Amino acid sequence: MSVSELQNSGVMWVACGIPVVLVLVQAIVFARKAYQAGPKLGLTQEQMRAGMRSSAITAIGPSVVILSGMLSLLVTMGGPVAWMRLSLIGSVMFESLAAGFGTASVGVELGSEQMNELAYTMGLWTMILCSVGWVIFATISANQMDKIQKRVTGSNPARLAALSAAAVIGAFASFCAQNLVKVNKSSIAVILGGAIMWLMMTICEKKQVKWLRDWGLTIAILGSMIITALLPL
Amino acid sequence: MNQTEKDFYDGEYMPQMNRIGKITGFAGVILCFCPALALAVVYGLLPQPAALVTAVVAGAASFGALWFVEPISYFPVLGTVGTYMAFLSGNISNMRVPCASVAQAAAGVEPGSPKASVIATLGMAVSIVMNISILTVGVILGSSVLSMLPAAVTEALSYLLPSLFGALLVQFAMKKIRLGVVVLLFGILIYLAINGGLFAWLPGASNYLPVLGCIFFSIAVAMLTVDKGKEGEKK
Repeated sequence: MSVSELQNSGVMWVACGIPVVLVLVQAIVFARKAYQAGPKLGLTQEQMRAGMRSSAITAIGPSVVILSGMLSLLVTMGGPVAWMRLSLIGSVMFESLAAGFGTASVGVELGSEQMNELAYTMGLWTMILCSVGWVIFATISANQMDKIQKRVTGSNPARLAALSAAAVIGAFASFCAQNLVKVNKSSIAVILGGAIMWLMMTICEKKQVKWLRDWGLTIAILGSMIITALLPL
Repeated sequence: MNQTEKDFYDGEYMPQMNRIGKITGFAGVILCFCPALALAVVYGLLPQPAALVTAVVAGAASFGALWFVEPISYFPVLGTVGTYMAFLSGNISNMRVPCASVAQAAAGVEPGSPKASVIATLGMAVSIVMNISILTVGVILGSSVLSMLPAAVTEALSYLLPSLFGALLVQFAMKKIRLGVVVLLFGILIYLAINGGLFAWLPGASNYLPVLGCIFFSIAVAMLTVDKGKEGEKK
């Protein structure tokens, strides 16, 4: 059996499918509990559906980006591992890096002709061992950090709301800054995305256009992406 | 929120969610070794221990700090349940954070409230199902089809996330323009400092310092202004 056949064997598909199914199970169990709890906490069906619909629309674009990023991993580590690593814990930024460290430890460059069974095994083990750190720490600390946050806000809803809103702004500000300092077309995309979104939100507010609330973000992203790509730079 | 709702959320809902989170989280840690075990049991392929140590140490040195810094940085954004979900499913900055916050905005819930936590959980679950479905279709189509994507499409896709981040920053900072501008400038300064080599002594700083710095700087500014008659809220 060639390395490529091994990488794409039925055994590997099944073995990689088990953790992927777990991620789905977790998401579904959490979502069911949340959906049942919503009305008891004063949420309406409409609010919950609106939230889920917006999330579904927003998820399409990044999913396609992840898919296009998966291509390199698909070639080097095979379908099943690429599929698993990007459905679970992984992020497209670190997976190739980790796989590369693994194959390099036995003297094989990731993506080269020398790829063999041992290098594949090393790459896979390294990817797994390098990713469980995130889940272990996050799983242990999730409810502990809630206690710290409650202490900071003194369980005052106004302070908690201000803190959460500020955290979201902080996260997006840093993602924007990362692209802005590149001073290339990505920086233009950030500015265009922001500008079109501002326009969409202003129209939405002034004219009360209801469908814009759902689709404004998508229009801003697609518009900015296409204009940026067409810019002759 | 009235007392009954508070009792239900703190006394019933959250303990249940914590239990599910811990069980599935640790199950994930064990189950992600499945493919490695399959290689060992079915094909008799085992890693070389010494080489594996080298590889994992190299990985830990380049991004091991993220294992601790990311759950802390993103906690105020994701909340408890969101943290369990986001770190098991991955793709946090490019997927979970945008989807959770967009869902909360669409539902019109106050950030940080129990309602917001429920909506974030629903939004994130939807994004996980979407992500896995699209990846599954893609991986079945396989590399032969994926590599047929024209170069222009691949190039355009590389601008999708920057556009998304710009749009989302505007969406969420529109009611807090001053905070948004100040934090964005702060973020740019951190990146300039990193590029200028100011943090060369901190290994891998560019991976985590800006996100950590911006989130906690933003929180600090908000906490200082929220007490002063909600200055940050007005404009």
